[in-house]
Amino acid sequence: MNAPWKKYLPAIACGLLVLAGCNERKPEAAATNHVAALTGQLPYNPLAWKPITTLTNRAAATTSTLYGNDAAVAYARSTAGAAYPAGSVLALVTWAERDDPHWFGAKIPGKPQTVEFVSIGAQPQYAVYRGSPLAQAASDQSGSRIDFILHLRAAVIP
Amino acid sequence: MTIERSSLPRVLFSLVIIGLLVFLAAQFVRPAIGNPPATAELAAPPEVKRVLRNSCYNCHSNETQLAWFDQVAPAYWIAARDVKMARSHLNFSEIAKLPAAQQKGLLWEAVNQAQLGAMPLPSYLALHPHARLSDADLAVLKNYLNPPSPAPAPDDKAKTAADEQYNHWIQASGTKLEVQLSPNGIAYPQDWKNWKAISTTDRFDNHTMRIIFGNDVAVRAIAEHRINPWPDGTIFAKSAWQQQPDADGNTRAGAFLQVEFMIKDSAKYASTRGWGYARWRGMDLKPYGKDAGFTAECVGCHNPVRHNDYVYTFPLEGLQ
Ligand code: HEC
Ligand code: HEC
Repeated sequence: MNAPWKKYLPAIACGLLVLAGCNERKPEAAATNHVAALTGQLPYNPLAWKPITTLTNRAAATTSTLYGNDAAVAYARSTAGAAYPAGSVLALVTWAERDDPHWFGAKIPGKPQTVEFVSIGAQPQYAVYRGSPLAQAASDQSGSRIDFILHLRAAVIP
Repeated sequence: MTIERSSLPRVLFSLVIIGLLVFLAAQFVRPAIGNPPATAELAAPPEVKRVLRNSCYNCHSNETQLAWFDQVAPAYWIAARDVKMARSHLNFSEIAKLPAAQQKGLLWEAVNQAQLGAMPLPSYLALHPHARLSDADLAVLKNYLNPPSPAPAPDDKAKTAADEQYNHWIQASGTKLEVQLSPNGIAYPQDWKNWKAISTTDRFDNHTMRIIFGNDVAVRAIAEHRINPWPDGTIFAKSAWQQQPDADGNTRAGAFLQVEFMIKDSAKYASTRGWGYARWRGMDLKPYGKDAGFTAECVGCHNPVRHNDYVYTFPLEGLQ
């Protein structure tokens, strides 16, 4: 039982395995989208709110979702216009886009870029969070950003 | 029952003879494969066709060429069945008959089935290693489908239609629609708009953008990292809008197109691998599918991610 060819068995088995298994394509395993998680200290967690709409920017390669607290969502889905009631808070979360590992032809959220809040009180208040972890940053465009965010109309949801 | 020692060789011999006879007889049972004329072959550059010919045409065209070992039953039966099924899904010899948009959709699906390792069938590759797609082959297909292109220009007609749709909807807001059952008996989950967004996708293959919503069971499962398999009671809603580029470089959610669902119940939906599938289209939420058989399409395209419980989405964390 000491046939000399036996010592080649492991090599042969590996060769067959390589033939069968090498270059084998497999979908990336099920996982949460960890890179897209919002880190840092935010005054609210917008991801726990409902989405109002979504938009992308091809030149910047970003994808954004506008979220709102209950007051803001109720207004956006029932009224055309930008006159959100007091107490409404909107959050525009912007991620860098990345290729969907599961579907050539799709992009999904990658690293967070900014989280912008507009809170409606006597005057709309603007705050922007950037970086990793996200931290509050100064902005000299708060007026135009408030205008942009308040005028993003709700995606139609029948 | 015991067999006398001396009769054992004889029994074995007769078994071998019977086996041989069955094998020979089997060779006469030959469902025809046949190669009908290629009436409407795919119109694509030669390098694209070379890749498809090498890896896919044996099953997905009217130019099937069987290797000698495929001619022998029972291998022949498997080949005949595969070719029949493959042609019914996608036939490169007849694809040009379809509307352009449908052809494009099939090609994107084809590239993705290949990228996810679902096509060519792994069982086929074991004996036909030449059909394996290399990374370079895959790149040829991808470049063909997605050549570099300038950003799309705003489309005024589409914008007007989307504005009109929005105005109707916002004025009627709150009125509940009577929605018909999906042909497989699934009722429209009215509450999905109050669920959380578990992800978004920018689908540049078909110019749509989507929000994927998850119900409470889904959100809890994400928090607890129990997403493979997803627990019974999980529901996803995926809503699609037309991409609407505007003049300042943003692309917004334009007209609403459809919403579709996956409802997890491993017992009730065992025949569709544990998920109930349903889709409603347009502002009147018309159920999709001629009959309950429409789900074959859903299961077929979700099949490459079967090891991820048939779910494509990578859900966002921190939704609670
Ligand atoms: C050995 C035969 C064979 C080869 C080679 C093959 N396929 Fe298939 N293909 C099949 C069969 C069988 C089905 C039907 C699967 C089913 O219904 O479960 C199929 C289905 C498909 C589908 C539809 C998926 C669905 O279920 O909706 C696509 C797309 C596809 N193949 C693409 C390709 C591409 C691209 C290649 C080459 C890279 C390829 N196939 C090579 C046999 C083959
Ligand atoms: C051509 C391939 C294809 C077909 C056919 C298809 N899907 Fe999907 N589905 C996808 C992809 C890719 C995603 C990932 C999200 C995205 O990119 O839009 C997805 C995601 C989903 C999701 C969100 C959960 C998940 O798996 O990520 C639901 C719900 C869904 N599909 C329902 C359906 C229903 C219902 C049908 C049949 C009526 C269907 N799908 C048919 C490709 C397909």
